[in-house]
Amino acid sequence: MNSIYAVVGILICIGFYTILTKTNLIKMVIGINIIESAVILLLVALSYKPGGSAPILDKGYELVVDPIPQALALTAIVIGASTTAMMLALIIKIFSKHHTLDVREIRNLRG
Amino acid sequence: MNTPIMLIVLPLLTAFVLGLANLFSKNLIRSIALTSAAVHIFLVGKVARRVLEEPIIYKLGEWDSFLGINLVIDSLSLMMALLISIISFLVLIYSLYYIKRHKLKYYIILNLLIAGMMGMVLTGDLFNLYVFFEIVSVTSYALVAIKDEGDCFEGAFKYLVMGSISGTFVLLAIILTYQTTGALNLAHVAANFMEVPFAIRQTIFVFFFIGFGTKFALVPLHAWMPDAYSEAVTPFNAISSALVIKTSLYAFMRIVYTLYGIDFINGDIGTLLIYWGVITFLVAHISAYKQDNLKRLFAYSSIAQIGYIMLGIGVGTENGIIAANFHIFNHGIIKSVLFLVLGIFIYTKGVTKIEDIKGLGFAMPKISFAFTLATLAMVGLPPFNGFISKWLILYSSLEGGYSLAAFFVLIGSLISLAYYLRIIKVLYSKGEAIEVQKVSWTFKFPIFVLTISSLLVGIFPQPLLSLIEQATFFLSNNTEYINLLLGG
Repeated sequence: MNSIYAVVGILICIGFYTILTKTNLIKMVIGINIIESAVILLLVALSYKPGGSAPILDKGYELVVDPIPQALALTAIVIGASTTAMMLALIIKIFSKHHTLDVREIRNLRG
Repeated sequence: MNTPIMLIVLPLLTAFVLGLANLFSKNLIRSIALTSAAVHIFLVGKVARRVLEEPIIYKLGEWDSFLGINLVIDSLSLMMALLISIISFLVLIYSLYYIKRHKLKYYIILNLLIAGMMGMVLTGDLFNLYVFFEIVSVTSYALVAIKDEGDCFEGAFKYLVMGSISGTFVLLAIILTYQTTGALNLAHVAANFMEVPFAIRQTIFVFFFIGFGTKFALVPLHAWMPDAYSEAVTPFNAISSALVIKTSLYAFMRIVYTLYGIDFINGDIGTLLIYWGVITFLVAHISAYKQDNLKRLFAYSSIAQIGYIMLGIGVGTENGIIAANFHIFNHGIIKSVLFLVLGIFIYTKGVTKIEDIKGLGFAMPKISFAFTLATLAMVGLPPFNGFISKWLILYSSLEGGYSLAAFFVLIGSLISLAYYLRIIKVLYSKGEAIEVQKVSWTFKFPIFVLTISSLLVGIFPQPLLSLIEQATFFLSNNTEYINLLLGG
């Protein structure tokens, strides 16, 4: 279990590193996506029980995984997808105006 | 019977009906949006009558509170709901002739935004809160970008990047809360929260603070706000400054007070919040003083007011909470007046900088007079509502023994007086005679209503204050909040 926390921590750090150091707008979006994926991974890992079955409460169940974090993970995925779509749409608009994806050049163009 | 949930469903439904109505007739959109907002105010009033007697617990789909989602409406939620409903109605009237491009999209997104904000203030469930929080965020980004000209996309992108990170932090905090307490309902969480190890409680607090703090623009995390505001359409500025950042602040306040209890606030965290608030308003006032661009100046001024509210929250006494909530209400009214008047200047003359409004005070006397009154209220001069809430904040910080913070409140007010007087001076300085076109009544009506209510609340604060006094009851007694839901 601790190794999963470590993986999530490393992924979040990679995401922040990407957002803070990369100057390409699309790479920043990728960084944000890495952070979001790390959080979703954490959600799924928390609900996992070794040998647990799907939470369908029919006859003959004994050990089921916790369904609530999985429902939360689905919601988080949907929200992440919509913000990513929106960021990429904005990037298209920015690119068609400035013809570059480099943050520094866009800042120079804005003056 | 089902009125509470209708407060959220009505704007949501309107958003989709608007899309359908557009297929039949383009003229229908505005009348449908306006009717829906008027009905919304009526519904809030209907709920208000019941809430004033006792708080409403509404169980969605009749599920038990452990499994299902609850709406919890006490006086504080009611105050926020009233503010959202009335200001969004007035801004909608203002938008009727202001918005020229992408009308359909604008009204759809605005209604979704209202639905999201209503959800945030009414819900009693952490994950539900997160979903509505993201609805509010995504629609806000879209409303910044909807201007479709100038640098609005860069502003929206910056807002979006910081907003997604803040959303991740809120989600992380909620996951941790669920993992350690096994519940998502605020009352259930609060009931078990004291058994959680201290280190994890602190981590959860920090995550909520960063997550919501980015959205309500605490000082090191405020950078998106001036950029996004200076490029956005003015009705959105008014809505965002008056309502969107306030709902995040409300959510933070509700979570911290309910989960941690007032004793935790009165400890070290209170001092942290107070001085963080002081730093926020000092930095924001000084940045505002240096601005030439009017929208950026107002954005910084909004950040400064958030600092005052943080101070009130941090003091943690009953008076502090009352002062903070009263200031949330008053700033909502005053700042919408400022932005809406600025919108008229932009609409008629295309102003951006302070020098551009030179002499407009004589060309548009009535609107400029309302603007002047609003700036005086913003600075905190009597007899306006801004004076009373600032006075209460000052009083409560002195009462709590934070005299240094109280001193800085006065310094901050002096700086804000300096930069607002500069605007007024330019507004009323003689230049060459300016011809202005007449603007429709839809522009002026919201401004006059809000200015008059600012004056009225300033002269007769008692009815509103007594509502807010009731509201603080559940914030300062979190066991009462728990008993309300769990029936203990």
